[in-house]
Amino acid sequence: MGELFRRYWQPILHTDELPEDGCPPVRVKLLSERLIAVRTPEGEYGLMDEFCAHRGVSMFFGRVENGGIRCPYHGWKYNANGQAIEVPSELNNSEFCKNVKLRSYPLAKVGDLLWAYLGDPQKQPPLPTWEFATVPSGQTFTSKRLQESNWLQALEGGIDSSHVTWLHGGGPTGAGLEADPLFAGAKGNQYNKGDVKPFFEVVENEGGLLIGARRNAEENHYYWRITPWVIPNFTMVPPRGDHPVHGHFWVPIDDENCWAWSFDYHPTRDLTEAEVSAMKAGAGVHSKNIPGTYRPEANKDNDYLINRHKQKTGELFSGVEGIAIQDSSLQESMGPTVDRTKERLVATDAGIIKARQKLRRVVEALRDHGTEPMGNVPEHQNIRSVAIVLPADQPFVEGIGDGFKAREGVPQTTV
Amino acid sequence: MTMTTPNSVSACARAVTKEEAAYRIDYPLAYARSTRVVALDETAEKTVRSVAGGPWGQAQFYTASDSGEELITLDGQRRPMVMEIEHSDSVIMVATNSIVSTAAASVGAACRERSIMTAGLLLLDAGALDGDALSALRPYARILLVPADEEDLFELLKAIRA
Repeated sequence: MGELFRRYWQPILHTDELPEDGCPPVRVKLLSERLIAVRTPEGEYGLMDEFCAHRGVSMFFGRVENGGIRCPYHGWKYNANGQAIEVPSELNNSEFCKNVKLRSYPLAKVGDLLWAYLGDPQKQPPLPTWEFATVPSGQTFTSKRLQESNWLQALEGGIDSSHVTWLHGGGPTGAGLEADPLFAGAKGNQYNKGDVKPFFEVVENEGGLLIGARRNAEENHYYWRITPWVIPNFTMVPPRGDHPVHGHFWVPIDDENCWAWSFDYHPTRDLTEAEVSAMKAGAGVHSKNIPGTYRPEANKDNDYLINRHKQKTGELFSGVEGIAIQDSSLQESMGPTVDRTKERLVATDAGIIKARQKLRRVVEALRDHGTEPMGNVPEHQNIRSVAIVLPADQPFVEGIGDGFKAREGVPQTTV
Repeated sequence: MTMTTPNSVSACARAVTKEEAAYRIDYPLAYARSTRVVALDETAEKTVRSVAGGPWGQAQFYTASDSGEELITLDGQRRPMVMEIEHSDSVIMVATNSIVSTAAASVGAACRERSIMTAGLLLLDAGALDGDALSALRPYARILLVPADEEDLFELLKAIRA
């Protein structure tokens, strides 16, 4: 699976984390590798092995200087590509430096994020074109939080539409969606509430899957919510009304932790101040983090601040506040890597079953035949989630037309 | 934010560690599903036959008669459909573009009346999706895989411990 991830650009830092030229370096752990990210005084981004080649000192303590970063222990200096450019103790400095290089990876800015590619340089795909990262900056907001579980059990929550009615919606009598300012007021919420036993259709798509959840709407019509999954770790949530559209990247830190990136964007307008304030406060798919960190305030150390009274009264179905933490509390409760031999899946888990199967297929095809995986090219990344009402006899893939494709200046398809 | 110090094993901070996860009780899961797998046309029957040889627990495999009122076992015995699904808790309908819609409607309606979970797999080996086939199956399948193949059926049965 690690080799598969090394075929994709992955979001690793918000640009705010390296806010200016010559700013302090930032530790990054990605795909079980400890790295350091730098932004030189000249504005060049770099991502390299965290530890100095000399004595293994963490370059987190390094001095960012013109042209690179210098280890404070003995003064070894590296450029943004990890190439040693000064080793003061050596008489023939330049000859020695030629043979000293920290492993480094490309780090590129697309939108408000910095993206890393950890794979074979010969196989490097085009830069990401996800719509949330390429619309004007006023139209998009991205947050991240640490999730203390394997990335896959987090991702599986993103394609498991059947949990939304319960955990986030509060069950048949719940008001969960209406209580959130980033979901409230959408007509789709009524359909959600009016039919708590949706039907599902899982449809193959070029870059992954489209998972449709259908509920009863007006006579002879269905309300469809269509979630795209793009291999390996990108999902989007179907929109509600004219609210911004949101989704996630689930990026492996190591086998037992991942970054849950959450984005909200609107394809055709700036986000309002109220929307951005709500996102920063942890509404919608975002989380309220401990200041100065990306760890949620509600985390496993405080039992996710579960409120048993609100759980009992039904104000919060699980007793945990906020969609993101409702998810993380339960997904982390499975243990860092859930033992899937003890699962008892049901037919409505077919989206998860199918996604696992597809993942296994692409991993094996890459490993055994060198077959390049899907999902790392623009045609697979220009995708949207959809909410739509369609006649009962119309296949959703037919009814949504180009609605699931990102198109500049065209609003999302939503109810 | 005040961080609490976990004072018992039931506190999340301890309970969700890898070490504590290892103490999840290890006991064999009984086969919970009494699954019926029903081919709704001749082409689908080939796939169902191929998968039927797997290591299944209580799963049983059939082809539906054209009316759907009978299910035909793989060794040719004809049995009343209603009797066969009566004590099942999931019915998986497998079809192709050649689906016999009356069979789908009959089996699907019987499942609905009995609140039996249904899944549908539309096998499309080479051909394009036929809207009529989808329309015939969609009303009755709580979960529908489009397109699906033999491996999908195998994986679904494996995952639900059929």
